Amino acid sequence: MRIAHRNLIVLAVAVMIFVASSFVPSSSPAADAELKPGDTIGPNNWQRIQGMVGENFLNRVKGGHTLQIKPGKVYRHLKEYTDATDKYSGKVRLGANGELLGYVAGQPFPKFELSDPQVGQKLAWNFFWRWLGDDYKTGGAVKGGKIIRSAIEKDGAERRADLVSYFLFPRTRYNSDPRPAIPGYEHIDYMQLRIDSYPRDAAGTTTLEIRYSDPNRADDLYIYIPSIRRIRRATTTQRCQTLAPSEFNLDDINSFNGKITDFNYKFLGEKKMLANLSQEHFPFHRKQGDYLPLDEKWEVVDTYVLEVTPKDPNYCYPRKLLHLNKVTYDTHWTLIWDKRGEYWKEQFGMFTPVKLADGREVWSVGDVTITNVQNGRTTIVSATRAYNRGYPASMFSLATLESIMRGGSIE
Amino acid sequence: MITQLSMEAFMASNYRKVVLGMAASMLLALLYGHASAAEEPVADHEWARFLKEKVSFSGFVENTTGLSISHGSRFFSTSNRFIMNRTTFQPEFNVELADWAKFFISWRFVKEPRYNAEANSRRSAVNPKPVQPLGNTFYDEYSPKPWEAVLDLKPSDLLKIRLGRQFISWGETDGLRLLDVINPQDGTFAPPLAPNLFDLDETRIPSWGLRLTYTIRPVSNTNIEFVALPGYWDEPKQRVDEILGSNDIRSEKVRYGRWSSYPETRIPGALGGVGRLYGNPSGPVPVVIPQVSRDLPNAGDSWKIGARFTHAIGALNFGLGYIWGFNPQAGDMVFKLKGKGCLPPATGPQCRIGAAGPFLPTTVNIALVNDRTSIFAGHFNYPVGDVAGVPVNTAIRGEVAFYPSEPYNISEFPGRNCATGALTGLIAGPRCKRGVEDSDSVVEKNTLRYALGFDRTTLIPFLQEDPWRPFRLSFQFFQRAIFAHEDGIRVFSTANKIAKISTVFTFRASTGYFGDTILPDVFLAYDPQGYWAANPAITYAPSWNERLKFTLTAAVFGGKDKFSFPGLLSEKDSLFLKMRYQF
Repeated sequence: MRIAHRNLIVLAVAVMIFVASSFVPSSSPAADAELKPGDTIGPNNWQRIQGMVGENFLNRVKGGHTLQIKPGKVYRHLKEYTDATDKYSGKVRLGANGELLGYVAGQPFPKFELSDPQVGQKLAWNFFWRWLGDDYKTGGAVKGGKIIRSAIEKDGAERRADLVSYFLFPRTRYNSDPRPAIPGYEHIDYMQLRIDSYPRDAAGTTTLEIRYSDPNRADDLYIYIPSIRRIRRATTTQRCQTLAPSEFNLDDINSFNGKITDFNYKFLGEKKMLANLSQEHFPFHRKQGDYLPLDEKWEVVDTYVLEVTPKDPNYCYPRKLLHLNKVTYDTHWTLIWDKRGEYWKEQFGMFTPVKLADGREVWSVGDVTITNVQNGRTTIVSATRAYNRGYPASMFSLATLESIMRGGSIE
Repeated sequence: MITQLSMEAFMASNYRKVVLGMAASMLLALLYGHASAAEEPVADHEWARFLKEKVSFSGFVENTTGLSISHGSRFFSTSNRFIMNRTTFQPEFNVELADWAKFFISWRFVKEPRYNAEANSRRSAVNPKPVQPLGNTFYDEYSPKPWEAVLDLKPSDLLKIRLGRQFISWGETDGLRLLDVINPQDGTFAPPLAPNLFDLDETRIPSWGLRLTYTIRPVSNTNIEFVALPGYWDEPKQRVDEILGSNDIRSEKVRYGRWSSYPETRIPGALGGVGRLYGNPSGPVPVVIPQVSRDLPNAGDSWKIGARFTHAIGALNFGLGYIWGFNPQAGDMVFKLKGKGCLPPATGPQCRIGAAGPFLPTTVNIALVNDRTSIFAGHFNYPVGDVAGVPVNTAIRGEVAFYPSEPYNISEFPGRNCATGALTGLIAGPRCKRGVEDSDSVVEKNTLRYALGFDRTTLIPFLQEDPWRPFRLSFQFFQRAIFAHEDGIRVFSTANKIAKISTVFTFRASTGYFGDTILPDVFLAYDPQGYWAANPAITYAPSWNERLKFTLTAAVFGGKDKFSFPGLLSEKDSLFLKMRYQF
């Protein structure tokens, strides 16, 4: 009887351990923390990265894809960002609906307890206000100065599109005067101009999107359509619509582009993930018709796992997991499930160091890949940024949209 | 008085000046850009680098083949026929001259190979001789003159100047123009109400001019805009909408074309004919023959000037503007009575040959003209999210245009003898004023036009393979109100009434399937008086090449009769295949 009682205790402990382990985020039963630079991972030892990459990516490794591990790269914030964090973060707090109060600039919540019931919301705000420069041009840091977007079908057929994108953060400026905010723009979190440049019929299509600080005010979205040479207004409240032929929707841009106050957040834990913080080729080398990077190496990074769930029950993504870099708060892996609970989309972003005008190195997103595992389509966006270009606020206005010519630039 | 020849020479000379001026500007900008860059010697390889880095080339080649499918129409007796085979090549260059100067230039070359079915069909229908249908090369364009040539200058962050041959598009509407009347439109090769066949960008005619935009306050999009289009550098027929009217235009400046209405749609001779709208017979022969010409605006008359103020208050974006100049719209043209005579060799008040010879019909000389006008313009757009918890999610847009003293043709219905007041028994006659025939035939009325549009994207999962790929829906409502309306205001060719309030509804729906490789788009227009148009299209954009597109589309028209637009085009119902390669 005593032996049987001991067995019961062992069994109970085992069950408890199993149950406890089920709270570890995502499907990460056997992540190998002992990965070393130079290790090669492939179909014979895929278990070593299980849980450190998306399920779809892991399946490709199981199926034959190999990757190599490299040393990690250390990133440090710019002094101006750290100074702003030190100066302003003390007065930042959360409102009743998760809105940010008292925020001026820098990281809103540099210090938090992981046991804090509001830690998820704080991580979300840290993500939203991560350092992204005073402005940036996506596509600006590579030869040609364009974002290259490839839409890959399940059968490997590909279509290319080129575009550029400009962001301005008028109320959180660290390097450019006036600081920290451009007078008159304190109510705007960011403004984005996006201009298609290839193929020709899309060239000149330009969107101006404005995100307001007011949690109750929807984004403004204006679209200049070259085929009618006019600006059209669009609503932004339907954020789930597919931006075909890509697999992104409005909220997938930059991993998570939703209005922070429209969602609930739950911190699921800390986790080591595979990432590439120093992408070597732009776009990364790959086989025609496939989305896997061929000769990029991966490193192990520390992340916070943040579960994002919508307040709107009709929203397309009932569950989205962000894996936030613990230093930069950029996302390395974004995993999405549909309303049936089935795995839907998998997004990973590579990063690369780029230099500011003064020679200091900062971190930029490189190539971003999103795969719809249900329909087999993938979109790759090669999106390296050039920061602090000194764009005037007047560039982000309707007058700019009306000055676009097909294939022309606005800088 | 400037003769036609000297005017053309004058225009040619000014055109040369424009080209030289543009070239000089380019050169200056180029030199400035290089000088300010590093003051390095300009080596050959720098030019190569400049061409590679600062000059981009794009464009398209397109073939559109159309087959008229009107055989069997209850209104018309024409056969099915080959109606279009248009090949367009449009090269485009962008040049980044300097941070503050950019240049865009494009050319348009069009060729329609010879085919005779359409011309033969017209030839058999056109009467009287010797008026002939258009030649087969009418639609060809070989001109070395640039299609667009704009120099964009940005002297400061707030000021933008655009010089050159350009498009200026105001307004908010789709498919039908309301405020978008600064540039004329070429309606010769493209049917109306068919944006899926040729969109506005393909059918507008660029104009030489200046556009200046000054941003007063960027954060609220507060801008003032000024446009000035002198007109005299444009070809006369490109100063106004190019549309081919009825086939009896004798001036040979504009002749019977692909989309001109079928002769049957005009007021029948037995009921008085078009001539009766402008004059009663002078003699005993009860026939009035119209001698029609087309007056294109003279160079000096065709100035166009406009200004507009735009601003945003919260989510509401709006603008107020004013346009003065020639109204290019085909639908606003009127016939002006230039005189009344006799069919030669008859003369005199009775239209008689000699003192005792036979009597001949009367003639009226009428000229189809555009009028100079003032347009007071306004527009707005406003996105609506939830209303009382209901997710409306619709962008609302609107336009209004007030035309003071807009000209309309006016006649007497039914026709009567102005002197006696006795009815002539014909459907129409000239308007009578104080017992005599009106020597003008035009009346001016204040006119208000406005439009409201509603755009939204809607998920219809059961109609989609990707339930999150939305349908784009657009509904528009257009109205025209003629103040102090009179019964005699009618369409000049068919004598159908122009109502005090006329209305058109449009609806458009589009989406994409299979990663946007299959793209259906349907445009519908409906006039509650009983006329409609449909322009369904389906485009295949292959998943393996982003440069190619194939579109199958139809332009179909109908209505309760064949005498009003767009029902009078039902003789033109056609199917088209467009093949387009972009580079």
